[in-house]
Amino acid sequence: MPILVPEPHDEVCFREDGKRLDGRAVDELRPFSCEVGVIKNAQGSALVRHGKNLIYAAIYGPREVHPRHLARPDRGILRVYYRMATFSVHERKSPAPNRRENEISKVIREALEPVLFLEAYPDSQIEVYIEVIAADGGTRCASTTAASLALADAGIPMKSMVVGVAAGKAQGKVLLDLGDKEDKVGQADIPCVVVMKDKSISLLQFDGEMTLEEMKLGFEYVLKGAEIIYQKQLEALREKYNKISRQAEIEDAELSKETPKEEKTASESTDTAVSPESSDIFKSDVEAESAENTRSAEINETPEASETPSTEGSETKTSQEDVSSVGKEAKEENTLSEESAPSEVPPQAGEDNPTGDDK
Amino acid sequence: MSAENKQIREIVTPGQVIASDPELMAGRGAIREANGDIVSVFVGLKEIRGKYVNVVPLNGLYNPQIGDKVIGRVIAKTPVKFLLDINSKFLGILKPSDAFKRSHRTRGYPKTMGTYRLPRENDMDKLKMGDMLICKVLSGSRTEEPTLTSLGQELGLITEGLVIAIASTKIPRVIGKKGSMIALLKNLLHCKIFVAQNGRIWIHGRNPESERLLIEVIYKIEREAHTTGLTDRVKAYIIKEKKNRGIK
Repeated sequence: MPILVPEPHDEVCFREDGKRLDGRAVDELRPFSCEVGVIKNAQGSALVRHGKNLIYAAIYGPREVHPRHLARPDRGILRVYYRMATFSVHERKSPAPNRRENEISKVIREALEPVLFLEAYPDSQIEVYIEVIAADGGTRCASTTAASLALADAGIPMKSMVVGVAAGKAQGKVLLDLGDKEDKVGQADIPCVVVMKDKSISLLQFDGEMTLEEMKLGFEYVLKGAEIIYQKQLEALREKYNKISRQAEIEDAELSKETPKEEKTASESTDTAVSPESSDIFKSDVEAESAENTRSAEINETPEASETPSTEGSETKTSQEDVSSVGKEAKEENTLSEESAPSEVPPQAGEDNPTGDDK
Repeated sequence: MSAENKQIREIVTPGQVIASDPELMAGRGAIREANGDIVSVFVGLKEIRGKYVNVVPLNGLYNPQIGDKVIGRVIAKTPVKFLLDINSKFLGILKPSDAFKRSHRTRGYPKTMGTYRLPRENDMDKLKMGDMLICKVLSGSRTEEPTLTSLGQELGLITEGLVIAIASTKIPRVIGKKGSMIALLKNLLHCKIFVAQNGRIWIHGRNPESERLLIEVIYKIEREAHTTGLTDRVKAYIIKEKKNRGIK
């Protein structure tokens, strides 16, 4: 439960030991964490916790524009909806969009537009929904960070990630990443959005009074803070996939433990009565993986693969041995990237598949 | 090829410099900066093919290409055409002339002596809202709505089975290298599968149990599409689950 600060606020923003009220140094960020892929129905989504801010962003599109007259024939449009939940602040916020929300939606849109290839999506729109669940100062910056993460997660081409972070001034000192109270009682506030590729600024608002030197110092702080947030963004984007990779590695390790047993049982079965399914699979795999380079081999693959193993047990045995040797190589080669050429896949006329396509 | 591609499994992020070698060129999913760096525009897997640096995106919307086979759902009708949801930013257009065969009748002479067309029934009544069709993309571009046809081999109305949807970027992985993954699924689970390029998969299993297992396996493939050794893992998973669930 946050401490209720009576209005008007006292101007104290520093403790006796010189640190800020929450114990931070002047150039220190609030705790930041983020996550992607949190909303299943959205094309891409992100959750950002920045201090006590809790912000969700979701991406839909590119899709058709409604009303149609807003569509532009030469480029796509970006629509940003920044909304605060009624319970996100101390006093209930009216759920109706107000002037502040519309303005923040606009500035976030303008901060994101330079990093997107909107000209690639004529007549369509990309929608960014930002929902502030808990607000604690600096929501427009945190929202931009969240929107950037969600756009990257959605697979929308971007020139760079963007990071929002604010600098400001309170009690005569330049600060990084203002909290709620510092924002309200401070002398200046500069929310910035930094395009991380070239460290250019795509959003700069300024409210208050500062000297040029203070401003320069503020920008130094902003770049420093943005770099920290950027690294966490990248980590979150990679973590979504690395988590699954680690799980897969564990499964692989278990599998490699079990394989010797399976081979034994399989060879036993081939000695007695060939189990049609398993040997069939082994064969098709061997052929699929060994016939890499020759086109003719590719075409011959299916009929052989769909053959029922009328061969003797000894032959199927050798094919399984081949698997164990070829399989290791194939394991490593078997990536998404290599298989991303469906047009090269030859049409297979599987017997059990009158309507199916084998692409 | 394999030696080159082995190192290439790095997950890259938008704005990340993926190469600065002047001999390499920016391929799919990458752009070249003014200073000569090649930069990724997607979250994806970096790969180097010849002199091109590509980024294979891990998520994204389906972009119709001419000749793709897609599964669409009729979501609107006009007096002259059906509009199909094909999981793309545009609706697909299916005209009755591309959807139904015209019936011709001869006058009792060989065909070369001339035929006459039967008066057409109302073709617009032949499909209902919500019908699923396997179609092929005839035309369409970045700015135009794709036109579809449902006449041809393997195309037409879906009357049985199930359709499930996955991310269209993961479709190549469901197919597998040289169709290995799909052959695995068919052989192990004895099912019919049609994988459409727009991320929808039609399946028809032998029984509900194997159908359910197949759906789980396809979702597993989608989830783990960026990992290595997937075919082996899927094979082991299916064999294990078949034993556990008693599926023959």
